[in-house]
Amino acid sequence: MTADAPASLRKDGAGERPFRRVLIANRGEIAVRIIRACRELGVETVAVHSDADVHAAHVRMADTAVRLGPAPPSESYLRADAIVDAARTTGADAIHPGYGFLAERASFARAVEDAGIAFVGPSSATIAALGDKLAARRSASAAGVAVVPGTLEPAAVDRPDALGAIAQEAERIGYPLLVKAAAGGGGHGMRRVTSAAELPAALTAASAEAGSAFGDGTVYLEREIRPARHIEVQLLGDRDRTVVALGERDCSLQRRHQKLLEESPAPGLTADERRELHETAVRAARAAGLENAATAEFLFDADRRFWFLEVNTRLQVEHGVTELVADIDLVREQLFIAAGRPLSDRIRAAAERASAPERHAIQARLSAEDPARDFAPTPGRIGRWQMPAGPGVRVDTAMSAGERVPPDYDPLIAKILVVDGDRSAAIGRLRRALEETVVTGIQTTLPFHRAIASHEGFAEGALSIDWVDDHWAELLRPARTAALGAARQAAAAAVALAGSPGGSVAASELPAALAARDGAPPDGSAWARAGRLMAQRRWPR
Amino acid sequence: MPRRLRVGPVGGSQPAGEPQDVEVPLDGGDVDWIDDVTAVVRGSDGVARTATIGPVRRTATGVARVEVVVDGWRFELEVEDAERAALRRRATRSAEVDTASGPADIRAIIPGRVAAVRVTAGDTVEAGQTLLVVEAMKMQNELRAPRGGTVERVAVGEGETIDAGDLLVVVR
Repeated sequence: MTADAPASLRKDGAGERPFRRVLIANRGEIAVRIIRACRELGVETVAVHSDADVHAAHVRMADTAVRLGPAPPSESYLRADAIVDAARTTGADAIHPGYGFLAERASFARAVEDAGIAFVGPSSATIAALGDKLAARRSASAAGVAVVPGTLEPAAVDRPDALGAIAQEAERIGYPLLVKAAAGGGGHGMRRVTSAAELPAALTAASAEAGSAFGDGTVYLEREIRPARHIEVQLLGDRDRTVVALGERDCSLQRRHQKLLEESPAPGLTADERRELHETAVRAARAAGLENAATAEFLFDADRRFWFLEVNTRLQVEHGVTELVADIDLVREQLFIAAGRPLSDRIRAAAERASAPERHAIQARLSAEDPARDFAPTPGRIGRWQMPAGPGVRVDTAMSAGERVPPDYDPLIAKILVVDGDRSAAIGRLRRALEETVVTGIQTTLPFHRAIASHEGFAEGALSIDWVDDHWAELLRPARTAALGAARQAAAAAVALAGSPGGSVAASELPAALAARDGAPPDGSAWARAGRLMAQRRWPR
Repeated sequence: MPRRLRVGPVGGSQPAGEPQDVEVPLDGGDVDWIDDVTAVVRGSDGVARTATIGPVRRTATGVARVEVVVDGWRFELEVEDAERAALRRRATRSAEVDTASGPADIRAIIPGRVAAVRVTAGDTVEAGQTLLVVEAMKMQNELRAPRGGTVERVAVGEGETIDAGDLLVVVR
């Protein structure tokens, strides 16, 4: 199709399609996001799916779909062998892993490489090197990057005689500190230690948890940096070892290591701080031989120092925030890089501008979780589904009205992104977008995001990774109580209008009401009058 | 003319909460606008909120259930007439206070289905004797006479669906 389009029409200088057919080894909104990028380039797409996703959006959108197995991820989306087989049988010449599932499994990347298929992401060697957090700390430290103070060698948990040495290290680092798993992520295999007395038990527990979760019980010590902001840098590298930073994202609003809202640029950074951060991130990535997309994560402390945490070797959930600020398409660029192209001129230009961004973007992660019940998952069937639109709004989702949110996977159902000239304009736009959003059938995190968007502290940029724990409980009750009051009124009115309990609606009045609605001009006051009139006409007795 | 209804949360993600009587005024009242899907409700804080209303579902006992989403919060609400609610409150009270004399109205304290009727009008019963068996939540509950006397009336038949507050048996 578009493969025949003349190269001159492409602004980023990439003339032909990078691949003929790409298999997307993922589901949900990220699979849809990747399929969109492929379609725009005229690249055919192959979806894979579990039995729970037979009718899912990514399956409907792709040119071909291959069933992997039953709903549990271990029997479907985590089956590396079945996915490589699907790529072979469908003739896919590349596999994009998305995020989560197999995206950061070096063994999967290697299996793809060995099958002669392009892996859209960093090489298996890079994934392996950076996936070991301890190795990544060593490599970054050697490259002159300030890593979070702590140990660079594994703590010898299994040797009782080594405990004294570990305790000494802990004293040097200072309490409170964290025991972290080298293979860890998402808070698994992590323990907070406030005193020397707690250390032995924490080491054993963290190591055991890491062993069962990741098959590797290696742990190390790290100082707990509080208060802190979580700031990360988007990186892209090509085969020629050129690595650029495309701006940073502030992801401080999180709960139990799960990000809830992200924005770019990070509020309150000076151009110098920003430049220094970007250069540091590039240094850490180059040391690991980064190719394709990755993200370097840092903690920003109260003394305005950046401390390196780790590098994620995948496309992030929040990549769209950077795309909106820099006006680039990271997935498209990933595909070209995987096909062996050097970084495009457009990306290089965006990297030049990254320390002085001229736009501000924010992303709210809408999840099937109940913010009134400690964010417990709320799988189920969606009723109404009304997403925001209009200037500066982007929605990445695989959901629609009537769609089922399966209990087997991540509860993320939509990413609502806004972009505007500056932060305060972007917050206003976010507030507006969230007011337009309606989801029924299941409880979502929408109330949380609405509360954030209209919170003064957030507007002032007073962010920290403890913000949600510190503030949500007090925001939750008044917000929910006010909504419940209105809901009661609405429910009572709706039931009364539908006829008193046991009664029925007079059939003759419905067409009149519809006529009044259709005939009324779309003017607020006239509509309200028509609504009241209708309410009175339909009133029983 | 305002209408009184009793609205209480039901199951799902609802925290426990006391049902409340809600006045539903029509003239310049708190519900500014209502159609089949949305209502604009002005709360006591003066803020107008848009409520998205799901279809009204009747339970077997005539109580209405409706899903309402406001500010992103999802509620499943149960709505019944205030008179019915008052009746239910009375039933709860009469169940608590067993009078020793005068006619005793025995009312249902839980909604369910009459599984069996063990007495007929004119029967003499002793305190504690089984009058009815009510099935609710897949459990059979025996309804016993609060005191001895004569059955004046049996107001329900086997297989009948009953709601909390419904009159079942009168013992004199």
